[in-house]
Amino acid sequence: MENKSAGRQVLVYATLAMMLLFALFPLYWMFNTSFKSQSEIYNLTPNFWPKEFTWAGYDKLFEKGFLTNVKNSLIVSLIVSFFSIAVSMLAAYALSKLKFRGRSLISRGILYAYLMPRSVLFIPLYMLVSAIGVSNSVWGLMLIYPTITIPYATWMLISYFKSIPDEIEEAAMIDGCSRARTLWNIILPLAAPGLAATFIFAFTLCWSEYLYALVVITKSTDKTITLGLADMIVGDVFAWGPLMGGSIIASIPVVIMYLFTSKYMVSGMTVGGVK
Amino acid sequence: MSPVLIYLLAVMLLPFGWALYLSFTDKTVGMPANFIGFGNYADLLQDPMFWKAVKNTVIFTAVAVIFKTVFGMIMALVLNEKIIFRNVFRVLLFLPWTIPTIVSVFTWQWIYSDVGGVLNYLLLKINAIGRPLGWLAQPDLAMLSVIVVNVWRGIPFMGIAILAGLQSVSKEMYEAAMLDGAGAIKRFFYMTLPSVKEVTVIAAVMTTIWTLNDFEIIWLLTRGGPDNGTQVLSTLSYTIGFLNMSLGKAIAIAIMTMPPLILLINYVTKRSLSSKE
Repeated sequence: MENKSAGRQVLVYATLAMMLLFALFPLYWMFNTSFKSQSEIYNLTPNFWPKEFTWAGYDKLFEKGFLTNVKNSLIVSLIVSFFSIAVSMLAAYALSKLKFRGRSLISRGILYAYLMPRSVLFIPLYMLVSAIGVSNSVWGLMLIYPTITIPYATWMLISYFKSIPDEIEEAAMIDGCSRARTLWNIILPLAAPGLAATFIFAFTLCWSEYLYALVVITKSTDKTITLGLADMIVGDVFAWGPLMGGSIIASIPVVIMYLFTSKYMVSGMTVGGVK
Repeated sequence: MSPVLIYLLAVMLLPFGWALYLSFTDKTVGMPANFIGFGNYADLLQDPMFWKAVKNTVIFTAVAVIFKTVFGMIMALVLNEKIIFRNVFRVLLFLPWTIPTIVSVFTWQWIYSDVGGVLNYLLLKINAIGRPLGWLAQPDLAMLSVIVVNVWRGIPFMGIAILAGLQSVSKEMYEAAMLDGAGAIKRFFYMTLPSVKEVTVIAAVMTTIWTLNDFEIIWLLTRGGPDNGTQVLSTLSYTIGFLNMSLGKAIAIAIMTMPPLILLINYVTKRSLSSKE
């Protein structure tokens, strides 16, 4: 028995080590490359740690106006996420706590909208933003991105709201609270961790989005971070140093945000109802 | 409530209806649309390229989803064991899912690179390959390479979803089974697997929906090449729509991917709504 469990331990840790190697090696390699000089990057035998740390890759990145891309992404992602959460909060509250006709149809529609892939909708949405004249600007993205974030956020928040017992709300209403006040003073504070997690996921969706940005925006002053990165590649020339530096910068905000919400990852990931 | 509905109707349903109409026209960028009935669909059905894209899409999706499910299951089983720093390892294993897709694509592209790429270097060093390989230069290898990137990104989602299912299995049940003399393999197939079947299937179907429509990884790594070896429906649709400017035909491709998608989405909707009530 003793022997068997020692063998099992070895198996578990060996598997874990291999999975960690596979998951983390590319991230380590990105970090490693971003601090190498151009000549060191193209060494025939790659160094597993930069011989001398250099910021040259990052300097080059900012010369190309990467800061504008970061700023655009930050603005679009923040505005869209705040707006989506505010709207989805009300929608999710209605769908989880109020009884009205067509409720389950709407819930179903929201889940449909969430799962509907972008590659099906990108051409019609591109034509829509062209038709109303906001193509080629971040405004176009602000109009489109809520189609990703609202269904997602609503769906997440429905399950957070459902986990709050109805009795709490009923007690508040018996004490004379209005619906609106109950939502504001009772439900929202209780759902705060869920709201924060949902906000972060919504932010990440916008921050990482590429396809819609690709079809909507061609003007360099309005390009987002994903487009800025893709633009680093000119023809077949890859400037790996700046590209990996840009990748690090694009990853840091989302990784930090995930670290803060890793506790809610499980519930957030599994589309709410699936437990 | 109703503003949300109006927005979603205006920005999703209406464009979708419009798109459906355009798929029956010869609409090109900057030109008016003429109604041509099922012309686009007939063209596509006779086009070997379209069928090649269908085949590639099926291979890409099936292989990637199987690997993501198997490795996700392994990840969940390992993280469900009593190990030190479990939460730290969970967060670390989760990282590939969090970073933007485009970032993971570029990183892998650099790893695959035939000039200075570390993958060839490492494989040569351990004598796994005799000469450097062009990971993105040959059709079959390129397919494998894009699948690896998709799997790398997708394992954490499956792993975390299955882990959530595992953690709801009661410890007492296991102890009882162990006392009855059930071995580890028996316990896995008769207790663990059935108890996480539901969540695994739903997560796998959701993953299938996403994988079926993966655009970024393939487009950025290979543009559908070499020799259309990785051309899938989403990249073909983009190529026809934005490089050849035939919007009507490009939309027709997207529309044709809808029936299987609707089946899959319906499945998830039904399952997760029923488990919610």
